[in-house]
Amino acid sequence: MTPAMVLRLAWRDWRGGELGLLVIALMVAVGTVTAVSLFVDRLQQALLSESSTFLAADRYIGGSQEIPVEFRAAASERDIEMADTMSFPSMVFASDDRSQLVSVKAVSPGYPLRGVLRTADEPFTRGEPTTQLPQQGEVWLDSRLFPALGLSLGDRVEVGVAAFTVSRVLTQEPDRGGSMYDLGPRLLMRVEDVPATEVVQPGSRISYRLLLRGDDDALSELKDSLELKPCCWWRGIRESSPAIGSALARAESFLLLGGLLGVLLAGVAVALSANRYARRHYDHVGVLKTLGATPNQILFGYLLLLTVVGAVAAAFGLLIGAGLHLALVAILQSMIPVELPAPTMRPLALGAVTGMICVLAFALPPLLHLKNVSPMRVIRRDLGSAPPSQVLSYGAAIVGSLGLLIWYSGSLFLTFWTLVGTLSALLLFGLLANLLLRGGRVLGMQAGSGWRLALAGLQRRRRENTAQILIFGLAIMLLLILLLLRTALLDEWRNQVPDNAPNHFAMNITPDDVAEIGLMLDANAREQGGLYPMIRGRTVAVNGIDAKDWEEQHRPQRGEGPRLSSSRNLTWASEMPGENKLVAGDWWQPGDTRSMVSLEDDYAEDLGLSIGDVMTFDIAGQRVEAEVTNLRRLDWESMRPNFFIIFSPGALESFPATYMTSFYLEADQKRFLNELLGRFPTITVIEVDALIAQVKSIIDRVTQAVELVLGLVLASGCLVLIASIQASKDGRMSEHALIRTLGGSRKLITGSLAVEFATLGLFAGAVAVVGAEITVAILETQVFDLGVSFHPWLWLFGPLIGALIIFVVGMAGTRSLISSPPIMVLRGLN
Amino acid sequence: MSRVVVKTEGIAKIVPTAEGQLTILEGIDLEINAGESVAIVGASGSGKTTLLGILAGLDMPSSGSAWLGGVEITALDEEKRAKVRGEQVGFVFQTFQLLGSLTALENVMLPGELRGESGAEKDARDLLEKVGLAERFAHYPRQLSGGEQQRVAIARAFASRPNVLFADEPTGNLDSSTGHKVIELLFNLNKEYATTLILVTHDDRLAERCDRTIVLDAGRIVS
Ligand SMILES: Nc1ncnc2c1ncn2[C@@H]1O[C@H](COP(=O)(O)OP(=O)(O)OP(=O)(O)O)[C@@H](O)[C@H]1O
Ligand SMILES: [Mg+2]
Repeated sequence: MTPAMVLRLAWRDWRGGELGLLVIALMVAVGTVTAVSLFVDRLQQALLSESSTFLAADRYIGGSQEIPVEFRAAASERDIEMADTMSFPSMVFASDDRSQLVSVKAVSPGYPLRGVLRTADEPFTRGEPTTQLPQQGEVWLDSRLFPALGLSLGDRVEVGVAAFTVSRVLTQEPDRGGSMYDLGPRLLMRVEDVPATEVVQPGSRISYRLLLRGDDDALSELKDSLELKPCCWWRGIRESSPAIGSALARAESFLLLGGLLGVLLAGVAVALSANRYARRHYDHVGVLKTLGATPNQILFGYLLLLTVVGAVAAAFGLLIGAGLHLALVAILQSMIPVELPAPTMRPLALGAVTGMICVLAFALPPLLHLKNVSPMRVIRRDLGSAPPSQVLSYGAAIVGSLGLLIWYSGSLFLTFWTLVGTLSALLLFGLLANLLLRGGRVLGMQAGSGWRLALAGLQRRRRENTAQILIFGLAIMLLLILLLLRTALLDEWRNQVPDNAPNHFAMNITPDDVAEIGLMLDANAREQGGLYPMIRGRTVAVNGIDAKDWEEQHRPQRGEGPRLSSSRNLTWASEMPGENKLVAGDWWQPGDTRSMVSLEDDYAEDLGLSIGDVMTFDIAGQRVEAEVTNLRRLDWESMRPNFFIIFSPGALESFPATYMTSFYLEADQKRFLNELLGRFPTITVIEVDALIAQVKSIIDRVTQAVELVLGLVLASGCLVLIASIQASKDGRMSEHALIRTLGGSRKLITGSLAVEFATLGLFAGAVAVVGAEITVAILETQVFDLGVSFHPWLWLFGPLIGALIIFVVGMAGTRSLISSPPIMVLRGLN
Repeated sequence: MSRVVVKTEGIAKIVPTAEGQLTILEGIDLEINAGESVAIVGASGSGKTTLLGILAGLDMPSSGSAWLGGVEITALDEEKRAKVRGEQVGFVFQTFQLLGSLTALENVMLPGELRGESGAEKDARDLLEKVGLAERFAHYPRQLSGGEQQRVAIARAFASRPNVLFADEPTGNLDSSTGHKVIELLFNLNKEYATTLILVTHDDRLAERCDRTIVLDAGRIVS
């Protein structure tokens, strides 16, 4: 066979509708992958760059000393924009000698590299975005400093030995901070003014940051080129904001998984339609062989045909994918106000390679088998159609899926579990489907004729029907998996930042003021959180060993975790605070007066502390000993007061404490802070509402992305269903046409088909539910770090929905069969 | 003019079945000369189709040898047998075996195209005209009647310019008057192209028109 002849045959096949489904399946495979990954790619970039506003940069280099100049040189070589920030605590004095501890941030021109500052001329208002910075000699102050220091705009304040004019109210800065306890009231000034204050002395605790903004590649190149340790550390959004980092990571996993399942589904569709094509060509090949076509010519011919078809389908698939993605972007423009960066080439390459792999792994094996069809087939039909090599077909499909999954997700772990889940589901459910079909016969015996016909049909083609239940089941299962995971993720995210969660903290409340402040909060704020005593103190020894020595022994390489000997906020409580989970030991009994302490799990592990150790604390100059009796796990992602160390009431009750509480304020209630701070100038209020709002907005975007991808994958799932029904159409057609010629009414056929599809769907739904529950449980625990959840409602609705979907798609797909006269069907069968 | 084109020696065909070995053909020795027309007759199940398949190189015997146009086809592999078929053999089947996705003309062009001939289309048009289907070039098999389909099949068989034409009950699916026309056509073309004709039939009239009749009974030649 010459190439020209192969092309002619391909063209004739296409014209006759033989190649249609295969081409469409390939096109959809390539199209979905391209669209999903183009979209995900751009969205991911957009989300990342939006999240970057949390850093006011794309990345930063942090250090406790000035960032070396070589670093700056290396960055500017790579066209990376830079800005400096310095943060340190300092006292600020107003003219009437009122003073307040503030968290100073000194910035250089260019700051912020991402996100915007907002300023106002009145405290506790929302303010306007600005591109300006304080002039030299000026400072901008946080709202709460105005009542605390009795200031108004234009007043002078002193920082160290220098005086500054208060020129604006600072209402929002993008990098307000990762850790809540770093949130002293802000004073923003210029780096250039810092030397004049003379507050920076050797040994001062200053946090330096070199903010960076630039191309992703340039940034990671820079990171690799720098000798960061020991002076400095490198940070991106993931490391510095655990809440956003984990939301992004999970969303990414989900989007990948979604795209990945889309690929698998499309692969199944390709395999199905290639199989159908091959089956319908056994006769072709038989005839060609009697006419003198050799096996090698047949092989070459179909290889060439597949190459051509694959190339054409891939080209159109890429176009469709790109178009679909543009449509998605257009539709979502209103929902995603972020500017989408230009797509990279990777998704297009991904689409093209997906097409190739689909052809090789899913479409080629059944066609390869055509070369072995015996020419005797033209005489005796049952000859020469031995089933294609199972090892080859399944082997190629598995290798192909594996390759695609690994390449697509870049995660061996995710690939492994998806594949294990799918394969074991297939094995288990092949068995189950077969059993169900056997059971069907018993039922059919007592049923009406439409039912009997349908169930007899199901019985007769048990192998094909088992396969079909598996395919339907697999498609439905993959969709259910995505749906369940999406729900679990959204729930988790919603819980992470519940509506009305406290968004302000009040600290330094003296015992005398507790009652009155409580009343004020009751009247003006909602959702007041618990009241915690706070006492400053530090650990001085463990089991009689000096804290510094203990730290040497148990933490030889000083990481960035909490230090044992630093002074920190201690609290005591009789009940374990909500959101904490006991992981070892027991919480103390009421009335137990022994001196005990409860530690946060990671903190204990970092510092080599375990239950039974006796810790000695220095609190207000007094030594307090307490035994570690239990370990807790905290939800650091939740915006709640969290303590590393909690004492039993017996240990600390006698010490003078201040109190902290938390409360929720709407944006328009913020003026209440003015009143509160005016009345109690000594308390400290920390506002985390801006932070929470930012986290929420990111999570909302991520949620939309997740839903979109879900929609796309649903579409490709439907394609599999259609392909599968088409693939089984020939057998059904001839059978039902025959029954009609034998006198079966159209009603009988319709009824029988309806029962057949509904039954297949019911079984497929049952299979899917079992598979989905197991896989989701594994994914939730292994990949997404969520709790396991089971879904009783699914067990009822899964099979019903399966029956409904297959019924609808099936009846739509075979309508022509029922409405055309049987002679057409019989003739068409040749 | 007594060149042997088809010859067999001790052909047997034995197939395994659930009940043990089933002997379909046994001890088949025959010689057919170029230009001869031979009818193979016998009761249903006597092994006619099986024999035809082996003679044409579509199937392999369990033992024995067969020659086609001087080549021992039973000694060849499928690749080479296919070549021999392409060069030597034409087929007409009881069930027509036209390709459903190809038009009548394309079906007839197929052998020429497979051999890579440039004149395939013209030859095919001529042949279709000869079988009286000049009007139906662009029609698909499903749009043709059984007799018309068989005529297309005959045109296709002659398009390969065969030395030997094999026909398995070519009129089995047709009514007697259509069958008659098809037979006339077959013999006319056979004469025109000087092919050897080997056909399997239950139709006595058809058998009578052949030069020779081979009778099979239970897998053996009885006369
Ligand atoms: N592959 C096979 N496996 C089992 N039995 C076979 C096989 N091929 C042929 N047979 C049997 O061998 C016998 C001869 O078959 P064959 O088709 O050659 O008969 P025939 O003479 O052409 O009959 P008919 O006139 O009905 O077409 C039949 O009984 C058939 O069932
Ligand atoms: Mg026969």
